[in-house]
Amino acid sequence: MKDLPRLAVLGMAAMIMLVPYVWMLAVSVKPQDEVFSASLTLLPEKWALIENYGKVLRTIPVLTFVMNGLIVCFGILFFQLLFAVPAAYALAKLNFRGREVLFGFVMLGLLVPYQTTALPLYLGFHQAGLLNSYTALIAPFTCSVFAIFMLRQFFKALPDDLIAAARIDGMGEFSIVWRVILPNAWPAMTAFAIFSVVAHWNDLFWPLIVIQKGDLYTPAMGILAFRSVESGDDYGVLMAAATLVAAPLVFAFLFAQRRFIEGVTMSGLKG
Amino acid sequence: MTGVSVTAVTKSFGTTDVLKGVSVDVSKGEFVSLVGPSGCGKTTLMRIIAGLETASSGGVMIEGRDVTTLRAADRDVAMVFQNYALYPHLTVAQNLSVPLVMRRLSSWQRIPFVGPFVGDAKAKLAAIADETKRSAEMLGIGHLMDRKPAQLSGGQRQRVALGRAIVRHPRVFLMDEPLSNLDAALRVQTRAEIVALHRRVGAATVYVTHDQSEAMTMSDRVAVMMDGEILQIATPEEIYLNPADIRVASFIGSPRINTFPAEAGPDGVVRVDAHETGLMSAARGPVTFAVRPEDIRPENNSHDSRGIPAHITHVEFLGDCTLLHAETAANKTPVICRIAPDRQARTAVGEQIRLCPDPARSFLYEVNGKRLRTSQPSMQAAYV
Amino acid sequence: MSDASPAIALGSATSAHMRPRVLFPDIAAGWFLTLPAILAYVLMILLPLLGVLLLAFTDYEFGSKSFNWIGLENFAAMTADRTFLASIRNTVVYCLFVVPLSIGLALLLAILIEAGARGRTFFRAVFFLPVVSLTVAMATAWQYLLHPSIGPVNVVLRGLGLGAPNWLGSSDWVLISLGIIGVWDNVGFNLVLFLAGLTTIPRDLYAAAEIDGAKGAWSRFTLVTWPLLGPTLLFVIVITMTRSVRVFDTVQTLTQGGSNHASEVLLRTIYQEGFHYFKFGYSAAITLVFLAIVLAIMLVQTRLIDRRVHYG
Repeated sequence: MKDLPRLAVLGMAAMIMLVPYVWMLAVSVKPQDEVFSASLTLLPEKWALIENYGKVLRTIPVLTFVMNGLIVCFGILFFQLLFAVPAAYALAKLNFRGREVLFGFVMLGLLVPYQTTALPLYLGFHQAGLLNSYTALIAPFTCSVFAIFMLRQFFKALPDDLIAAARIDGMGEFSIVWRVILPNAWPAMTAFAIFSVVAHWNDLFWPLIVIQKGDLYTPAMGILAFRSVESGDDYGVLMAAATLVAAPLVFAFLFAQRRFIEGVTMSGLKG
Repeated sequence: MTGVSVTAVTKSFGTTDVLKGVSVDVSKGEFVSLVGPSGCGKTTLMRIIAGLETASSGGVMIEGRDVTTLRAADRDVAMVFQNYALYPHLTVAQNLSVPLVMRRLSSWQRIPFVGPFVGDAKAKLAAIADETKRSAEMLGIGHLMDRKPAQLSGGQRQRVALGRAIVRHPRVFLMDEPLSNLDAALRVQTRAEIVALHRRVGAATVYVTHDQSEAMTMSDRVAVMMDGEILQIATPEEIYLNPADIRVASFIGSPRINTFPAEAGPDGVVRVDAHETGLMSAARGPVTFAVRPEDIRPENNSHDSRGIPAHITHVEFLGDCTLLHAETAANKTPVICRIAPDRQARTAVGEQIRLCPDPARSFLYEVNGKRLRTSQPSMQAAYV
Repeated sequence: MSDASPAIALGSATSAHMRPRVLFPDIAAGWFLTLPAILAYVLMILLPLLGVLLLAFTDYEFGSKSFNWIGLENFAAMTADRTFLASIRNTVVYCLFVVPLSIGLALLLAILIEAGARGRTFFRAVFFLPVVSLTVAMATAWQYLLHPSIGPVNVVLRGLGLGAPNWLGSSDWVLISLGIIGVWDNVGFNLVLFLAGLTTIPRDLYAAAEIDGAKGAWSRFTLVTWPLLGPTLLFVIVITMTRSVRVFDTVQTLTQGGSNHASEVLLRTIYQEGFHYFKFGYSAAITLVFLAIVLAIMLVQTRLIDRRVHYG
């Protein structure tokens, strides 16, 4: 088979890539003494699956963290789309004075990573008494210039006739956005949705800043907190925790691979 | 001397047979078209000749040399692609020179920046620049040498693609639907230019197209392909006047040839819907009767009972002729007659007419395709 | 909002003197539709950005009642601040390590994947896995892998007779360790972008190259693949550089900047100064430096190379 060398190289690379996962799972079911024996065997002699995972579930409310992650990510996504879809439509299809200026601000926003605005935002939320709240976690990300940019590109490609027909049918601009544009923007929106959810599920910087209360911890913070509780001695339990919080997105990914990858690549190549 | 010789080539992709035993010879200096509907295998055949695909069985020879197992880069063929396939990052001059550079300069001499200083690279590059300039002038793009493909019009890009092909003085010149991306007016103009170019180059040219008028107007011989087989390969006149298969007859000629389900009776007379066609055949049973629009005349119903009854459904005035669409009892698709414009006065939609085919120019086929020999009874004078 | 009448809807077809009436509905609608986004933008992006600009020139500390304008003093202090200087140095070294490696590997793997028909989806999924895996969680897994005594990596190294460095603990090795994790993290992302870029290369170009005499894989790469990946490559470089400059999660999880500031990076310094020492003014100044670096990356790359890379 001519394909063998290629598959062999790719196979080796894949194995290296998977090493952290393999060991994470393997260690998560090992009892502490086996972990410290520093052996290279993957399978445990004595299975500690219940003990390790049990300890994790008892010590930290994993489910709560996952719930928080979901609430925050989908909350962010909801507002991002709510604001970006009409704005992108207006910038793409409507002709009005000031449009170019607005788009200029959008481009400017693309250059600025969100971490730059952390300090004043913190001050603001503090003044408003909104620290340690879902609002603090969600609000800063509601205006996604990236969503506006990407959706605008997409909308520009939609035929003008579609909108002309809707206007002739008597629809106002508002209806046009939600009844004509939205259904046609599905691929772009799901692509962006995935991009956004992955980015915010993984985010540590901002939640670390605004959240002190344990029951609002996002998954990333949850793991961090668990680490300090555990003080890193029982690696088995640590790995079990890591597995539990990493699992949701990994499963979602394996389930809907193509969508995930579209989400990431759409961001790049249309731009 | 034979430029290209294809012998019994088959090609299968998995369980699908794309080419079912195709043989064709193209002489040096000859222009042969492979024409057929999409999916007939013509592009696959061309790619096998080029060396971009390998045949499942059968062989390809180029100027007497067996190239069946050689890859494209070793075959010394030149090809023009449907979408031109120009290197977008290179100028016209560079695009034209790639085939020469790849073949004449060694790997060392091709290394960017330092390559040109190795050995006789400078002299070779100068010669290459010369030749590309000449080819460009020949094609009328000499003034575009420094532009990139994105800055050219469709017609100009096509010339660059042609230039890249001829700059090597190839033995075999392959063209894969090169005109299909041009607008109609440009297409007609470029047809003639391509044939002129072919004559200057003098190579064996294989031209793939789905447009039968292109094939008919440009070629020395036409090979009509369908479903992976060559149904007939002959001069355009022969193909038109003597189509060997019902599918060839239907594909070549515009408007399409008229076909009628017919019956060859025990007396040998061929009838459509119990109306005599004026042909006799040794075959018996169901056959297909075919006649071109210009060879079937609409006559008044008042004539005696010759001809096939029909009524006119549509009239198209084209200026130099008129096309009548008529429906018969036997045919589901309308029969089309081409008549001289001065007969306009006698034709109106709904009118009942009788269709009289010219038996001397009609064809008879087995129901599944092959041409049947016919003769006309001595009473033919009455039909002419 | 207006329900525009048909005559106005077909804006482009109207004559010049009708144009003012055509724009009116659009202006109202335009601003109305963008209003929520504008509000969010102003509140969450624009004003805070201005806020950072202002803060950087003050000595404000969180919790204090007042602050002073101190001009460029914060920036002066930075030049003498060992931690900050280490931070800049480390971030640069980290980028120099992660960017070329993750891009080169991703390109190689992408070409290998594209070269054949089998296993494409599988390999793509495997390499992309780190991108969707919670960074903090995977960092924890790496911590185990790189553990100096019980981690499998060192066990293997010791078995082979090679040295067994203290990957995350020693100041000599920590940046490299973080770099390795960074490459692992980024390869999948870049790979997917390259794959998409590779599929946009018309197949015909490879056929034309073959006909033109390009025989080896190297010729095909230099004649077709590399030039046509130009735009993708540029994008990937910019993306990877900005992602690398923003490294935070792995550092915060694994080393907290240690040991001895050997893994101190920009974002972590910003975090420390701002939210541990509450020196908002100083942290804002560092933030501006951070922003300047990010802007520089984007602008320099796009300006310098963009024109050469886009073929119309």
